[in-house]
Amino acid sequence: MSEYPGKLSTIVDLFEHLPDEEKRDSLVLYADQAAACAPAEGESFDLEDVRKDEECTDTVGVFIKVGEGERVHLRISLGPQVQTLTKAMTAILCKGLEGCRIGEIQAVPADFVPKIVGGQLVRVRSQTVYYILTRIKSACTAFRNRQKIADATG
Amino acid sequence: MNDKTEQYAHPDVLVTTEWVEAHHGDQNVCIVESNEDVLLYGTGHVPGAIHIDWQTDLQDQTVRDYISPEAFAELCGRNGITTDTTCVFYGDKSNWWACYALWAFRLFGHTEVKIMDGGRDKWIAEGRPLTKEKPIPVPVTYPVPGKRFDDEIRAFFDETLAHSQAARPLIDVRSPGEFSGAVTHMPEYPQEGVLRGGHVPGAQSVPWKMAVNEDATFKSREDLEQIYSEQCGLQKDDDIVAYCRIGERSSHTWFVLHYLLGYEKVRNYDGSWTEWGNRVRAPIERSA
Repeated sequence: MSEYPGKLSTIVDLFEHLPDEEKRDSLVLYADQAAACAPAEGESFDLEDVRKDEECTDTVGVFIKVGEGERVHLRISLGPQVQTLTKAMTAILCKGLEGCRIGEIQAVPADFVPKIVGGQLVRVRSQTVYYILTRIKSACTAFRNRQKIADATG
Repeated sequence: MNDKTEQYAHPDVLVTTEWVEAHHGDQNVCIVESNEDVLLYGTGHVPGAIHIDWQTDLQDQTVRDYISPEAFAELCGRNGITTDTTCVFYGDKSNWWACYALWAFRLFGHTEVKIMDGGRDKWIAEGRPLTKEKPIPVPVTYPVPGKRFDDEIRAFFDETLAHSQAARPLIDVRSPGEFSGAVTHMPEYPQEGVLRGGHVPGAQSVPWKMAVNEDATFKSREDLEQIYSEQCGLQKDDDIVAYCRIGERSSHTWFVLHYLLGYEKVRNYDGSWTEWGNRVRAPIERSA
């Protein structure tokens, strides 16, 4: 088994052994599920980070709710121009990291990406495939920083 | 063909979405999707369309160059394309990669080529059918092209440098920020590994986007003449080189200048800024 937290490990193991054509088909299936990763109506979060960065084709929103033992409930919204590979990675990370602890998420190495995507699809113009993980980690860091400030001032 | 299309210099190279839908199943027509988004074809495509990947299908995987004539013949053969097959290209990003694939097919001398005006976005906006079903082409034998038309439609670094030094028309189709040197990446894109910002000395900035309408269709001939002939001052017998970052946006402008406006001598410098901006001692101008 791969050394990744939560269900991400299972997903990576599954992809790693798929031939390239099946990897593509599975990524498209995950991409189809990306819309369902957006926050549900009325759902509340501890941190919401919605922004449009230069390196991504559209707006990405990261929403986290942190529960007992710093376990994270994760939701992500995507603008319509986001690339299919980014959509797939969103669904994979939402499923794979759901319920993981903040520390586990921050420690996830980016080396799982080529294992899932395969060598053919990691390209200069597909580098935003790493972007979603970076945004999730950044939201976790921002949450922790806020907690530290709240603890220090409270 | 519609009223708009009839005005172009080569009206037969541009077809409408209606035309493509009406030719579904036409044995002499091959619809080809070519995208920047590497998985987009798999999410649904024009029924019967094959997929050609600009990177893995058209480019050599070791040397920065295009595939060999033998590999091109194999690519066409396995996709059921004969020398008489009309290849109709379309794709995302206002047809950047469709124009790039068409340009690459022309490099190998395939003459029966067309672009679906408006590309994938227009097809979808009109509610036309999409399918995930991939066609299974009947393989054919495509003769190995005897030559590659690099001299005619492609410019290399040395030729572009000579072009710049001779003050011949050079069209930089990138965004204004890339042209000025203010940024070294396209807006909305990650850095593509270029060390210097700016443009080839003497180049004029005519962003590719000026040639298209909001719905990704090409502007009318009159509008295009206004941009390239009147504002940019291009003459019909000019020797023109267009470039961008890696050659896809400049393929789009190459298509506009050659096929829609009828400029006879237009070449695409596909090495573009990722070569020029990294090249030791390549002269650069900045306007920022």
